[in-house]
Amino acid sequence: MPVISLPNVRLHVQELNPEGAETLIMVHGMFSNLAVYYFNIAPMLAKHFRVVLFDMKGHGMSEKVQTGYDLTSMTNDLRDLMDALGIEKAHLAGYSYGGLVALKMATRFPERVGKLAIIEGPDPSEQETLTIIDTYSKEFLIHYIENFADTTRLLAGKRQLEKNHRMYEFLFNETSIRSDMEGEKAFFNDPAVAAIEHETLLIYGEESNCVPSGRTLASRISNATLVLAPGDHNVPVQQPEVIGKELERFFEPSPLPVG
Amino acid sequence: MDQLIQENKLSKEEIFETLNQFITEVIGEEFVEEMDITPASSFTKDLEMDSIEIVAFSEKVKNHFGSNIDFTGWLSNMDLDEIIQLKLENIINYIQECQ
Repeated sequence: MPVISLPNVRLHVQELNPEGAETLIMVHGMFSNLAVYYFNIAPMLAKHFRVVLFDMKGHGMSEKVQTGYDLTSMTNDLRDLMDALGIEKAHLAGYSYGGLVALKMATRFPERVGKLAIIEGPDPSEQETLTIIDTYSKEFLIHYIENFADTTRLLAGKRQLEKNHRMYEFLFNETSIRSDMEGEKAFFNDPAVAAIEHETLLIYGEESNCVPSGRTLASRISNATLVLAPGDHNVPVQQPEVIGKELERFFEPSPLPVG
Repeated sequence: MDQLIQENKLSKEEIFETLNQFITEVIGEEFVEEMDITPASSFTKDLEMDSIEIVAFSEKVKNHFGSNIDFTGWLSNMDLDEIIQLKLENIINYIQECQ
């Protein structure tokens, strides 16, 4: 700890309340890292659960690898991580692309997933992320970090700007992330998504342009509830308390009936 | 001398030296050379640490000072603006209080 060697990749992992009876695994989004949950949302949920956070490959403090950013590879990583930590079954929460990873887990390994919370999961067929990648430039990056980077709303200094620039340069120019994400365009139309039976919470920012994606999922997943929270795509950063409370309410096991 | 001071209690200077070392490990020596790290340095403005670097720093603090210090719990009671304002001396004081 905190870097775990899996068969295909080494991932940076942080655990809160390891003694918790049930486990909740939280998956961050593209170009972000586990810190999006670490300071506010995860400690709220760690009051009830063992909470496992990890950096996706190529992100945060995990290994920088060139391939395998598609949802199948990402869910292989997550399954391997669960195996390595001895977790048979876990609740999943995923933000943005991490939400798609959580959905994919429910389609591929339904028996290993408890409840499912998707925060701002974008429909990859209309995702502007792909456009963002195409219009990528340093000027764009500065603008993006100041306005949209979903880790924190900290203003980036020079070293941070350089660091972020290196991350984007690496992910865009030295990895398959672009084509891997493009390859997922039809994901919401996958019949396996419509067949998800898990109790599912969909949280979207009411100002977010991903709200239609939330409505699509709500219409396809039979056991899904859509909640709109004040904010846009960055709602976990803008309203960590609100998101933490929604997740707490959703995941917390209902007390046994008395008598 | 003063009976209230425990023998193994670290001084502020000793804690500062340890934290300084952790910061160097997290952000890299080449960047630290250009900085003047003092107890008044703020994490985000002066040291330009981002959140994942603060996570790595917290991990080192926890591993070094032990489980008596719930550093993550302490941080989680702050809102983001407080974390942005956080200075090295705040952490030094917190660690001293926990000893």
